[in-house]
Amino acid sequence: MKKYVAKRILTAAFTLLVILLVLFILMQLMPGSPFNDEKLNDSQRAMLYAKYGLDQPIYIQFFRYVGNMLHGDLGVSYKISRNTPISQLIQTRLPISLFIGGFAVSIGAVAGLILGLIAALKHDTIWDSIATVISVIGVSVPSYVFALALSYTLGFRLQWFPMLYTVQKSMGSSVLPSISLSMFTMASIARFTRTEMIEVLGSDYMLLAESKGISGFSLIFRHALRNALIPIITVLAPLVVDLMTGSLVVEKIFAIPGVGSLLVNAIQSNDYNVVISLSFIYSALYIIIMLVVDILYGIIDPRIRLAKKGD
Amino acid sequence: MDKTAVSAETYVPVDSDFRLKNNADEIALDANFAAQGFWRDVFIRYVRKTSAVIGFFLIVIIGIMAIIGPGMNEYTYSGQELSQKNLAPRIPGIEKTGIFDGSETMSTTTGSKKVNHYEENGLDDVYYWFGSDMFGRDIWTRTWEGARVSLIIAIAAAVIDMLIGMSYGLISGYYGGKTDIIMQRCLEVANGIPRLVVVTLLLLVLQPGMVTIVIALMLTEWIGMSRIARAEMLKLKEQEFVLASRTLGAGSFFIIFKEILPNIIGPIITQVMFSIPTAIFTEAFLSFVGLGIPVPQCSLGSLISEGFNSFTTHPYQIIPPIVVMALLMLSFNLVADGLREALDPKMKEM
Repeated sequence: MKKYVAKRILTAAFTLLVILLVLFILMQLMPGSPFNDEKLNDSQRAMLYAKYGLDQPIYIQFFRYVGNMLHGDLGVSYKISRNTPISQLIQTRLPISLFIGGFAVSIGAVAGLILGLIAALKHDTIWDSIATVISVIGVSVPSYVFALALSYTLGFRLQWFPMLYTVQKSMGSSVLPSISLSMFTMASIARFTRTEMIEVLGSDYMLLAESKGISGFSLIFRHALRNALIPIITVLAPLVVDLMTGSLVVEKIFAIPGVGSLLVNAIQSNDYNVVISLSFIYSALYIIIMLVVDILYGIIDPRIRLAKKGD
Repeated sequence: MDKTAVSAETYVPVDSDFRLKNNADEIALDANFAAQGFWRDVFIRYVRKTSAVIGFFLIVIIGIMAIIGPGMNEYTYSGQELSQKNLAPRIPGIEKTGIFDGSETMSTTTGSKKVNHYEENGLDDVYYWFGSDMFGRDIWTRTWEGARVSLIIAIAAAVIDMLIGMSYGLISGYYGGKTDIIMQRCLEVANGIPRLVVVTLLLLVLQPGMVTIVIALMLTEWIGMSRIARAEMLKLKEQEFVLASRTLGAGSFFIIFKEILPNIIGPIITQVMFSIPTAIFTEAFLSFVGLGIPVPQCSLGSLISEGFNSFTTHPYQIIPPIVVMALLMLSFNLVADGLREALDPKMKEM
């Protein structure tokens, strides 16, 4: 087990380094310069380059960059808000994004579990079909279609919830974005729960539990659901990816001042220091989550780490 | 389960304590079929699933409309008529029933009122079936043109992914040992980079356009395919028919692509079908963020992005591309689901 964890951590660290290198190289290839103001003459431009260390050889820039990134010093923004440290820009935005992401995951997990349970317990009835239709739609329709539909109907027409995010009413205005983001989570968890539950309910140990006289609530929740939920960790990976991508668009639609909309702004205004830092943060978050998922899964299900060892 | 019947001394089972064992998996009626090929078998299982058939027909209809739709009226996808901008949908014939008659409800501070820009501007014989956008371009034509572009991107990306991912996985699985370890480490690192980051950065570096989007999708989507190909290869490579082929002197590449590939084509086709909606979604996402197809070309994503700017005042502008995209993604998912079950009936239903 120790060897397995060590190997996973090493791979993750190496991946992070590769990402830093790729980010750095790609950014060097980017068209345009952060200082393409017509009013600057060559010597002023050279001064600016020297000030930001852009006149040094590439590899020195890279090593300095890696060192800074790992210290949490993400550099300064050139364009969006001049000379503001990026960590400061992110500081206020990250909690908002994380809150909405977390809200979405909670809604999705609870709704998905309920939906999946209903479908499994009422297997092959109209309830099952309804739940399946909902989950197929949830998996295949992208989150921003839901976002647009919700903000038009519930936000604009019925005015139940605010159409745009406001910091003052952060709770009420988080509802619509979170619901739109949660659809994919809900649908995949529902599908997964349904499949696993049907399998567990038909198993011999469920028959044993039932013949021992355990019934109702305890049977479903303590014996069936717990066994069905162990492999649910496997759906976490696609969920994280979807939340990240979804958050960009959903944040734009609801005008949420989060990390996603910052990235979109940075892309559009060619502020490459911000793009590089946010890509790094997204990648680091992703890698950490994947690492935790892999290790957790290895702990819960010994077959995984044994299989990996024999690999 | 009758708890009251349990006594300390003797327990007499009652009828309700017994239940027939569910042995549907163990015994099955032997059905006799006329000898039929694998693909015919797949076809029969496929058409039995209603949702898969519906999905298939939706794709066919949207595909046909993407081909003939833009040519069905006199407008072109880039032709602008600034005097006829923001007109609501109006269809000849149906207009008399009161819907699609070119009127739209405007919300003002004093309440909402119904206006018909066609009548106000004297455009009696002008018809925009899905309305016109803020530059006076026909939304019908643009929707189907966009569907065409999105479909081309998605299918091109899926096919290229298939070729790359399949070859990578098959080679890695077949050779095993050091080759496999190195190839799998590379794949793990590549998989650790979020798709969002790769696609975003690539589109910043390259010129936005159809080819760039395909390249971006290609770089990110091959991993899933290669995993499936490798897993299937590991299952098959120790089997007798491979050994037989090798004994007869077949080379590695012959075995990989001529002997094993035809046996794993099922899961690979399924994976291709699943990667098409992902590609459509990614393209739409990129367009929405502003990294997509350059104007005046359009894709479903760029149409949605344009429609979003005025979706509270002129909702009809965003509805057609959104509906087409949602239907397209839904039906590709339904078809992929159906194919997965048809190609491998033993597989766990998911």
